Amino acid sequence: METVLMDILGAVVTFLVAFVVGMTYGGLSRKITARVQNRKGPPWYQNFIDAFKLGFKKSAIHHGVMHHLGGAFLMVSSVMTLMIVPVLSHNNWFPNLNFQGDLIFLLYIMTFGPLGMALGAGQTGNPNSAIGVTRGLSQMVGFEIPWVLALVALMIQYHTTSITGLMAAQAHSGTWLMFSSPFAFIAAVMAMLGMFRYSPFDIVGAPTELASGPVSENGGKYLFVMMSSGSVFTFAKLTLYVDLFMGGADNLLILLVKTFALYLIPMLYGMTTPRYRTEQAVRWFWGWPSFFGLLAILQAVIF
Amino acid sequence: MKEIKENIIQRIKANFADAAEKNDFKDNRVDFSVKKETIPSILFYLKDEMGFIHLSHISCVDWLEEGELEVVFIVWSPKDKIKVFVRTRLDRDNPVMDNVDMIWRQANTYEREMREMFGVQFTGLVAPEEFLLEDWQGPPPFRRDFDTAAYAEKTFWHRPGREDAQDVRETIANRDGEEIPDFAKKYSR
Amino acid sequence: MMNDKNSQKIVDIIQNWARKHSIWVLAYGTGCGAIEIPPTMTSRYDAERLGVRGAATPRQADVLLITGYLTVKTMKRVIRVYEQMQDPKYVIGFGSCTINGGMYYDSYNTIKVLDKYLPVDVYINGCMPRPEAVLSGFAQLQKRIAEGRANGAQQYKDNLEWYRANQKKIIPNWIMPEYNW
Ligand code: SF4
Repeated sequence: METVLMDILGAVVTFLVAFVVGMTYGGLSRKITARVQNRKGPPWYQNFIDAFKLGFKKSAIHHGVMHHLGGAFLMVSSVMTLMIVPVLSHNNWFPNLNFQGDLIFLLYIMTFGPLGMALGAGQTGNPNSAIGVTRGLSQMVGFEIPWVLALVALMIQYHTTSITGLMAAQAHSGTWLMFSSPFAFIAAVMAMLGMFRYSPFDIVGAPTELASGPVSENGGKYLFVMMSSGSVFTFAKLTLYVDLFMGGADNLLILLVKTFALYLIPMLYGMTTPRYRTEQAVRWFWGWPSFFGLLAILQAVIF
Repeated sequence: MKEIKENIIQRIKANFADAAEKNDFKDNRVDFSVKKETIPSILFYLKDEMGFIHLSHISCVDWLEEGELEVVFIVWSPKDKIKVFVRTRLDRDNPVMDNVDMIWRQANTYEREMREMFGVQFTGLVAPEEFLLEDWQGPPPFRRDFDTAAYAEKTFWHRPGREDAQDVRETIANRDGEEIPDFAKKYSR
Repeated sequence: MMNDKNSQKIVDIIQNWARKHSIWVLAYGTGCGAIEIPPTMTSRYDAERLGVRGAATPRQADVLLITGYLTVKTMKRVIRVYEQMQDPKYVIGFGSCTINGGMYYDSYNTIKVLDKYLPVDVYINGCMPRPEAVLSGFAQLQKRIAEGRANGAQQYKDNLEWYRANQKKIIPNWIMPEYNW
């Protein structure tokens, strides 16, 4: 009983930490973008204000049940990802539900949210949403290939399909996977660019082109749910990358440093590149990233 | 240039008996007036036989005093670098003429606009009824006997305060006791 | 406890603070004034530091920025857009044209007084207003929000019949959805 309560409490704490960190990262990215463009930029807590305001907005839209559930699907998917990813290595405050084979489960659950969102967006009947959804799914087809190749390479190389197993392997050998399987890391980071949907891969919610795509019929509280689930998902993904390739983290400070360093990659890459078209994006993912993914598999099989 | 222009006039006059030309322009312009029935054939001829492949503009002029509307087609030949004006006059009370959007598809847009703004009817024009003026309730607004100010007065609200059309600069100067500089005086009403 | 007057006041203050610092703008670029929006948003004047940000769709926006003259045809769309926006929502009339017709005071197809058709919270005058003026307009709106005086939407709801009558006077073929929130 005691442990179950602890776990529930820990889950809540994990969620809160993920929410706060994700939101802050979003705000920092806005700030850094502004500084790069030689602007002063909004304060780092601007995203919190936005979320707060959105939460207090009235919503009087009804498009159907799926539309109401779309945001919930996103949230469920984000929270589930967060619960499976081990946040800190040796800490009782951050319990996780991981088990043998959770890496494969993760691959599925990470696409669950966007699919639910696609159903919700489809029901709004807005043509922009429909185009955004098709673009999002095509892009997912693009970046899933290098991402899966990288993960499969890791699984082959270390004979385990659990994240904790991979972390244990890193702790045992003393080097991060980022160095011992560099090709997998490169492929995964390139796939991450697509996952984060920053420019040049912001083809899903292109604000001027598609009027923000799938979320174009969602304002107020719906947008609040999507925004917070996005923040949680950001944190979960970054933590997953840190766990897989950078040896995990022992305390929160190290985790923040590592995740932020990773977060800078899509952010800074996005500032220097304009948006791709859909087929350009897909072709990009099926080019070098997939090549590195294949190299990683070769390396895993041969060595 | 001169010879080309002469040549064009010769050819048009040989084919269209009712074409009255005007050729006292210094630049590369030739001007024909024709009856409204001749318009499609002369435009076809200009486009297909003489290389005037580009439709620059179609405009409409309201000759209120003569009771007529004049429709002007301006076509351009990239080869000869000549532009030809083709004019025709319509009765102002019953302005009907042939649709020409099978010659240049973009003529459709001009015709819609003319139908709306001048009330010119094109027989056989296939286009939605409304173009720029949705829910228009008055007469065609570009005709010269249409009084915009009176129509606006009747249809829309006006915020009080600008009826006297007074110069704001003077008002402000008087209120604040400023001098209006000399150079600015000639712009004051 | 929520019904308690004082606590409601505190909640209002907090909400208004958040609304004030996060203004998502739907710039309805009707007239020439729209050209001043890009400099306001980009590096030179950087409206984002005040929390002013562009919104992509009416559903997400807080402020409808009407930049310039409105013809009857665009008026239809603007009313539709305004009614799609979610509470709390504000309208900024931008440029002389929205105030008294500006240089189109005798035009046959532009409306002259915007606040007869939509509830305007802040007017920015000028033909066209410079980005400084736009920013000061936003500052004015922020002040009004913080004081709780920016209640144009409430006004619209209360006087819907009057606004509808005015709108139907210039738009006889009324084919809009019902406004019921
Ligand atoms: S106020 Fe001036 S700048 Fe603005 S829309 Fe009217 S004419 Fe154009």
